[in-house]
Amino acid sequence: MDDPRDLRWANLLRRANRGERQAYLMFLREIAPVLRGVIVARGGARIDDSEDILQNTLIAIHEKRYTWRDGDPVAPWLYSIARYKTADAFRQRRRNRADPLDGVELTTPDDATVDPSVSYDLDRLLAGLDDTSAHIVREMKLRGASAAETGAPLGMSAGAVRVALHRALARLSSRVGQPDAPPRTSKEKTHENR
Amino acid sequence: MRTDDLIAALGAEPSPVRPVPLGRVVLGALAVGGAVTGALFAAFWGVRMDLSAVLFDPFLLAKTLLPLALGVLAVPVGLASIRPGGVTRAAAGLWLVPVVLVGLVAVALWVTPPALWWTSFVGHSIATCLPSIFLLSVPVSAALLAAFRSGAPEHPARAGAAAGLIAAGVSAAIYSVYCTEDSPLFYAAWYTLAMAAVIGASALAGRHLLRW
Repeated sequence: MDDPRDLRWANLLRRANRGERQAYLMFLREIAPVLRGVIVARGGARIDDSEDILQNTLIAIHEKRYTWRDGDPVAPWLYSIARYKTADAFRQRRRNRADPLDGVELTTPDDATVDPSVSYDLDRLLAGLDDTSAHIVREMKLRGASAAETGAPLGMSAGAVRVALHRALARLSSRVGQPDAPPRTSKEKTHENR
Repeated sequence: MRTDDLIAALGAEPSPVRPVPLGRVVLGALAVGGAVTGALFAAFWGVRMDLSAVLFDPFLLAKTLLPLALGVLAVPVGLASIRPGGVTRAAAGLWLVPVVLVGLVAVALWVTPPALWWTSFVGHSIATCLPSIFLLSVPVSAALLAAFRSGAPEHPARAGAAAGLIAAGVSAAIYSVYCTEDSPLFYAAWYTLAMAAVIGASALAGRHLLRW
């Protein structure tokens, strides 16, 4: 608790929770490399995966930042979230192992030459999302619209759109891993990548 | 998406947040669940007729107070389980309850003639006791699991088990004022079994419901 790094993080997070954007950005930039280390050490050894886990961890920290109590040490709080998200990623990977296409590296198809059945599968998947998220995925991933373009009619900032897109893709990829979901297609595999 | 972009996007969202008082949320859920359980109990079970006559029998007091103590001591454990990095020293106090229970069983074996051990143990209401404690715990554990969802448990199954421990303690304490089995030889075995079932079911529910 008296660790100077923890005091600095607590100070940044306190100011961030009061709405200071610069403090929040600084906080996220400082913790990201530390969390990356935690995640890699916990077994997210494949760099590609660990970056996904890191991003999910950052989103989780963002969504659950109200669970930090001022006065509590920050590092154990952060590490706990990172450990949970790492374990969660492994759980999902174990579930996906039954998938015959798992491990097959699928290349990014050119948007112009996409198999029409892919869009059908995608429609079915997108039907499981709320309307706004599905709209954002369609606009940005299928039409290639920018975050600002997509957000304007929705009244969302570009940043908010990007976060919503990231969350929607995470939800889609976890749904693809479930046994009752439609089979994984090359298109969704693409979506998991950055 | 690159991580730097994500950070920029997260930082661009308007970000003032009010810390959620998880303690108050959980206690509120406990009160609501406990009230539903109390109402069910009043409607379908009811307090035993001779309660006032046997009120000061230590074995009987223990039948109510031990599960209640377990439930109360489990509250900080449950709270710590839904707060990332949360720690509590209350978990140590929980072990007192089984220790006292074992002591009570020893005393009961001492004062009960060996010929009556078996009848005291089997009692006459196992078939009521087990499902009653389980059913009465459901409103409490459901309310607690719902409240726990606003936390961020690192181990969802463990958090679910903690919710089950609280619920089992409350429901066993309430059921105990209906139950006319007064020997620790009975309740140490069957209450414990029913409560274990509650904890197990709640842990299983937590594993699925408390993902985030």
